[in-house]
Amino acid sequence: MMELENFNVVCFMCNWAFCQEEMQIPSDLNIVRVMCIGRIDPAIILETLEKGMDGVMLVGCKPPDCHFIDGNLQAERAVKMLRKLLKLTGLETERIKLLWYSPTDEKTFAYYAKKFLKEIKEIGFSPLKRGAPKSKLLVNVLAAKNAASDFRLRVLLGREKELTEGVNVYGEKFSVEEFDALLDEIVTEEFVRHKIHVLTKTEPLSVKALADVLEMKTANVLRHIVNMRRKNMIALDHVEGTTPLYKALEVK
Amino acid sequence: MTAKTETNVRKLPPCRAACPAHVNVQGYVALIQRGKFKEAVEIIRRDMPFPAICGRVCFSPCEDACARVNVDQAVAIRGLKRLVADIERETGRIKSEPIPKKYGEKIAIIGAGPAGLTAAYELAKLGYPVTVFERMSETGGMMRYCIPEFRLEKFVVANEIAYIKDLGVEIKTGVEFGKDITIQTLQDEGYKAIFLAIGTQLGMKLNVPGEDLEGVINAVDFLRTVNLGEHVEVGERVAVVGGGNTAMDAARMAKKLGAKEVTILYRRSREEMPALPHEVELAEKDGIKFYFLVAPKQIIGENGKVKAIECLRMRLGEPDESGRRRPIPISFSEHQYEVDMVIPALGQVAETSCMPKELLNKEARAPSIKVDPATLETNMLGVFAGGDIATGPASIIEAVGAGKRAAVSIHRYLQGIDLRSGREEVEETTWVKNWGYINKKERRYEPPVEKPRLSFEETREYLENLKQHAMFEAFRCLGCGPCAECLANLELCEGDKAVVDETLCIGCNVCAVVCPFGAIKKNEKEIAQVNEDLCKGCGICAARCPEKAITMKKLPNEKILSLALAIVKG
Ligand SMILES: Cc1cc2nc3c(=O)[nH]c(=O)nc-3n(C[C@H](O)[C@H](O)[C@H](O)COP(=O)(O)OP(=O)(O)OC[C@H]3O[C@@H](n4cnc5c(N)ncnc54)[C@H](O)[C@@H]3O)c2cc1C
Repeated sequence: MMELENFNVVCFMCNWAFCQEEMQIPSDLNIVRVMCIGRIDPAIILETLEKGMDGVMLVGCKPPDCHFIDGNLQAERAVKMLRKLLKLTGLETERIKLLWYSPTDEKTFAYYAKKFLKEIKEIGFSPLKRGAPKSKLLVNVLAAKNAASDFRLRVLLGREKELTEGVNVYGEKFSVEEFDALLDEIVTEEFVRHKIHVLTKTEPLSVKALADVLEMKTANVLRHIVNMRRKNMIALDHVEGTTPLYKALEVK
Repeated sequence: MTAKTETNVRKLPPCRAACPAHVNVQGYVALIQRGKFKEAVEIIRRDMPFPAICGRVCFSPCEDACARVNVDQAVAIRGLKRLVADIERETGRIKSEPIPKKYGEKIAIIGAGPAGLTAAYELAKLGYPVTVFERMSETGGMMRYCIPEFRLEKFVVANEIAYIKDLGVEIKTGVEFGKDITIQTLQDEGYKAIFLAIGTQLGMKLNVPGEDLEGVINAVDFLRTVNLGEHVEVGERVAVVGGGNTAMDAARMAKKLGAKEVTILYRRSREEMPALPHEVELAEKDGIKFYFLVAPKQIIGENGKVKAIECLRMRLGEPDESGRRRPIPISFSEHQYEVDMVIPALGQVAETSCMPKELLNKEARAPSIKVDPATLETNMLGVFAGGDIATGPASIIEAVGAGKRAAVSIHRYLQGIDLRSGREEVEETTWVKNWGYINKKERRYEPPVEKPRLSFEETREYLENLKQHAMFEAFRCLGCGPCAECLANLELCEGDKAVVDETLCIGCNVCAVVCPFGAIKKNEKEIAQVNEDLCKGCGICAARCPEKAITMKKLPNEKILSLALAIVKG
């Protein structure tokens, strides 16, 4: 037993990562088994957080043992990106944990699960618990979720290995640090764009108003708006005086 | 042979395709990864009844085919098999339940070697009444009477045969085909189909003068006598003639029985020896000596007993039809070795006097029964044959494969189904072409040759330790074939496959990049296409597809999400 005390913790677990004794798994822990931990879509994790999950644990096989060659490393990449996104939202990044578990580990799985729960209890309940008033934080998490669902970050994530280990069509190879910097940049851009999108969904907003909320220079906000208009994410709604107001378009 | 009317091709990983009995290697290795040792044995038993025997002495063609050799070394498949079989035995007696008889047609099987016993096992599982007739007092064929105890313990053989018997197979020992029973008498007694699996029991002769001296004993007779528990007088200096596994077994046995010096005489060089390198190594470890490029000319006696063996030196000529270089005697190179025992180990031949002439293969050099290799039919209707008797001396796993094929044929024959049409064929399928990115991992599990003697508590610890090693070793498997069908987690993975929504796919190729198995390729319309033979349902593509054009049939994103959210309380 975990003594959850109303904490909501979910554990996504690779079918192959835990062995021997299924009994070791605390009965009250919510386990979602998947074929490989690399199968977890980052957008799913953000959505559980958005819905008020207090902690998300991912359990995969300890490298280099993976039933799917390097699915565990795919999960590691996803978590790295998720942490970057979470940082921008203001939600504690420690709410996500990736555990490499080996069937031959000395410690039982229950030990790690309890340890994680303890950490979550220290952080406290998620501010996004169901029924909590719509807050700035929710907007941020929604923006992060949408960014993780969007094309650019997904392509980047899918291609990380190719980019850092292989050579692209121009004969270039990225170092891990270069890739990290690129990821930081794109994560930030995508997060801001999706935040603008979330904010303008409920009411049309001006560049000035957006800049205030985002705590950014108007020029930078405008740059994003131009970009988003091109991608059909946003459109001019109406003009108040001389100020144009923008409204989000439904993305497919 | 009739033309193939209908084919039924099964795609299998290289190990399973290479195994003559098509044992589901990838499946049980996957289960070992998850620590499901008992289930692993069950998977093996679906395909053959001898996990513990083959875990010890199989020549393991699976390991030769293992794709991992392209990265480092083959997975220790045989060792893993032995381990799971031993764990099962150590942790409780294995029992099988009688299988209810579904059919009335009686089947007779002649010979209780691996071929005959496997056929009995398969047919009993189908629900036929089966009787096995065996001439010796105990069952198991070569496994019982020739393979030495130090490689294959007899209680292991007895256990696995007991399992077959408990399924409801009747075994009659001490009944000799050709003397006590014939095809005619069996048919008169109402047996509707007969499977001849009498192996090759006669040791080949040297055909040199002096072969009938006291102290000359053929390798199979020597091993058989020892295995019968009878006393054999072993000489001080023993010469074993031949370079196959039987020669290694006979030489090691002679040494273990107290011979001071045992020498293997082989007419070609080390490279041409048919014995497995591993067996040769073990023989060398036991202190066996090797003389290459010598062939016996005569055995010299004194008072009717062996005193020396006279040999000719050989040189190697052009390769013969076996692909090995032909030994050519060098004239005037006679020389003698002083020995008091000579064990010819040149291979075995079939005893054919017990069967009707029309069954024999007249084209073959060695006596054997003529069969269709695919169906194992003989020239007589309702009579099938397989194992060593049809192929010449081969191996246990080939005999097992033959037993399985015979069972399929007999079932089809008795049910009036065409013997060939729609019969299963196998094809090797594997995903890996580019090995570069796979981490090298040391082969982590070598089973001990002999298990140490341990107390009960020590045994538990010992097994725990072995289990850990085995799980690590199992993780070396690349799972390079299609789905393992291990049924490790039915509700989760059975048949899960990626599906592409062609209207959403934009041809970005991310799925192809992330798929560990190269199961996704773009077609000529630049749309992702899933090769269902290679897709193992891991779902990584579905987690990465930028357009969410890929979903998993059984476990789509929505389902994962709803399972995760099921607990969220306000
Ligand atoms: C010394 C030695 C070591 C070997 N080591 C290995 C090894 O390590 N690994 C491996 O894979 N293979 C090994 N083999 C080969 C393997 O044992 C055989 O290929 C295999 O047993 C053949 O199976 P079978 O069922 O065709 O015949 P057998 O095993 O020979 O069984 C035939 C059965 O038929 C019975 N029989 C014969 N004539 C009659 C009759 N007239 N009436 C009734 N019953 C009859 C025999 O008594 C016997 O029980 C070895 C062989 C030898 C000789």
